Amino acid sequence: MKNMSMRLIVIAGVIIIMVILSTLFQVDQRQQALILQLGKPVRVITEPGLNFKVPLLQQVIFFDRRLLVYDAAPAEIVTSDKKNLVVDNYAKWRIVDPLKFYQTVKNVAGAQSRLDDIIYSEFRVELGKETLNDIVAKVRTKIMKTVTMNSNEAAADYGIEVVDVRVKRADLPVENERHVFSRMQAERQRQAKKYRSEGEEEAIKIRSKAEKERTILLAEAYRKSQEVRGEGEQKAIAIYAKAFQQDEDFYNFFRSLQAYKKALADKSTLVLGSGNEFFRFMNKAD
Amino acid sequence: MPWEYNGDDNRGGGSQPPDLEDIIKKLKQKFGGKFPTKLPGGIGIVLLLILIGWLATGFYIVGPDEQGVVQRFGKVVYTTTSGPHWHMPTPVETVIKPRVTQVKRLEIGFRTISQAAPARYQKIPHESLMLTGDENIVDAQFIVQYRIKDPVNYLFKVVDQGKTVHDAAEASMREIIGKSVIDEVLTGGKFKIQQEVKALLQEILDRYEAGIVVVAVQLQDVHPPKAVIEAFKDVASAKENKIKLINESQGYQNDILPKAKGKATEMINQAMASKSEMINIAQGDAARFLSNLRGYQQAPSVTRKRMYLETMEKVLAKVDKIIIDQKVKQNLLPLLPIDPLRLKERPAR
Repeated sequence: MKNMSMRLIVIAGVIIIMVILSTLFQVDQRQQALILQLGKPVRVITEPGLNFKVPLLQQVIFFDRRLLVYDAAPAEIVTSDKKNLVVDNYAKWRIVDPLKFYQTVKNVAGAQSRLDDIIYSEFRVELGKETLNDIVAKVRTKIMKTVTMNSNEAAADYGIEVVDVRVKRADLPVENERHVFSRMQAERQRQAKKYRSEGEEEAIKIRSKAEKERTILLAEAYRKSQEVRGEGEQKAIAIYAKAFQQDEDFYNFFRSLQAYKKALADKSTLVLGSGNEFFRFMNKAD
Repeated sequence: MPWEYNGDDNRGGGSQPPDLEDIIKKLKQKFGGKFPTKLPGGIGIVLLLILIGWLATGFYIVGPDEQGVVQRFGKVVYTTTSGPHWHMPTPVETVIKPRVTQVKRLEIGFRTISQAAPARYQKIPHESLMLTGDENIVDAQFIVQYRIKDPVNYLFKVVDQGKTVHDAAEASMREIIGKSVIDEVLTGGKFKIQQEVKALLQEILDRYEAGIVVVAVQLQDVHPPKAVIEAFKDVASAKENKIKLINESQGYQNDILPKAKGKATEMINQAMASKSEMINIAQGDAARFLSNLRGYQQAPSVTRKRMYLETMEKVLAKVDKIIIDQKVKQNLLPLLPIDPLRLKERPAR
């Protein structure tokens, strides 16, 4: 009797436990859940924790509560100045209304194909308004904001919040890239040429300046040396004149004699007449 | 499926079977008084041991580089710091221990293939080539370092944290480079660009509530694209060339100017020497003349004659002389020069 009741208690206990267990489910911090009762949505759980459901009748579908990423394939877009730009963007989004989400797109893959449509068309509209250079250099942030806002509005119908649409890359198509490269090359060649001829210009300037300075220096030195010589000559002349003026006749005589000594060098041949003053006493001894 | 855990950084986490809260309740009920009388001692002890063993699984240690995040039935309830802790055992509570002090590193534009020296890298051109504001293209490789700022946000707010940082970093770098001109990017602007990218990246990650703090954004190799690198190098060599030409001309300048200065000084010195020479000669000559004059004045006629004769004596002693009588002079003259041979012997001085 005692054993029977023990066994019954244990069996009943196990059954009760199993039933209770099947009614319980856990929603993780990362998740939210939608409860379907025979296919009909009855409850949305957005907060994590322990929850109950009716076993067998009700089914739980989990959705991510975190920020999801949608990474689009790069797409070529024409700018307002008719240039092609390859835009690679990504979007951060989350499921904010699991019921709507489930009803409209069912799952993440479905959502991503909708996002693809929405974001691509928003981008095409916005980028088509701007020139390539403005997109790259100026209005990127503004465009990203506008696209995020518009995409978010459009995605609301799917229970989706688009938090951020961001241009990861905005590059030129390969064939345009080649043009840019050749332009860059030309620009650099121009610069290189400029440097080289600037170098020559500088060098010529320096050389000619040096030569100019040399010429001036030598000319000045010549002038000065001539001045100095002139002064010397002037002084010498004055000295001579002062001395010789004292007796001009004697000077003539004295200087002539000196000149004879110097001028009539060795082995000159002198033809003399016997009437010369020097021979005065050779002819007649008076 | 994307909405299931990807278990990336969620060590220790994971899904649990339908939980056993009621088991605890049951056990508590049983232990509360009725147990000893209703159950035989043997089973009671076994159950007690099982209970103790189960409770013991709740002990965990948070490492010095970790933080513990405890979830109760999936919901985050509290965090713990380094040291030993206890949580209610699975499936009631679970713990995740992310390494919050670890600095993670992302490579953008390249990947390290092997770190052993010499390190080898692989380029990822579609990540590194980017447009500058003046429509040029640069090849910029950079790294991003980040770590967990808020473990709860980090673990539960975004999917695929590494890719999130990577994408946002690429977008930020291009946005900032897009605002700069190529020369700035290639030369002095790097530091500023790094700072701006870091700030922008942090702003974006904060908006995602990613629980991540950006430690550093560092540009690695930044250079012109392969296709044009030669042209850029040529600019550099042209710059060198310019400097070389200038240096050479300065060398020329340094060569000729000192020489000219020397020459100028030489000319002036020679002139000064010559001046001094002339004056001294003149003074000497004058002095000699004056001395002679003074002597002469004492007996002019005699002195004059004496000087004349002395001079003639000296002069005539040295020269060849032909003396012709006054009377024959006229007839002889046509015959001169008398001895052409002798004249030929002596070349003109």
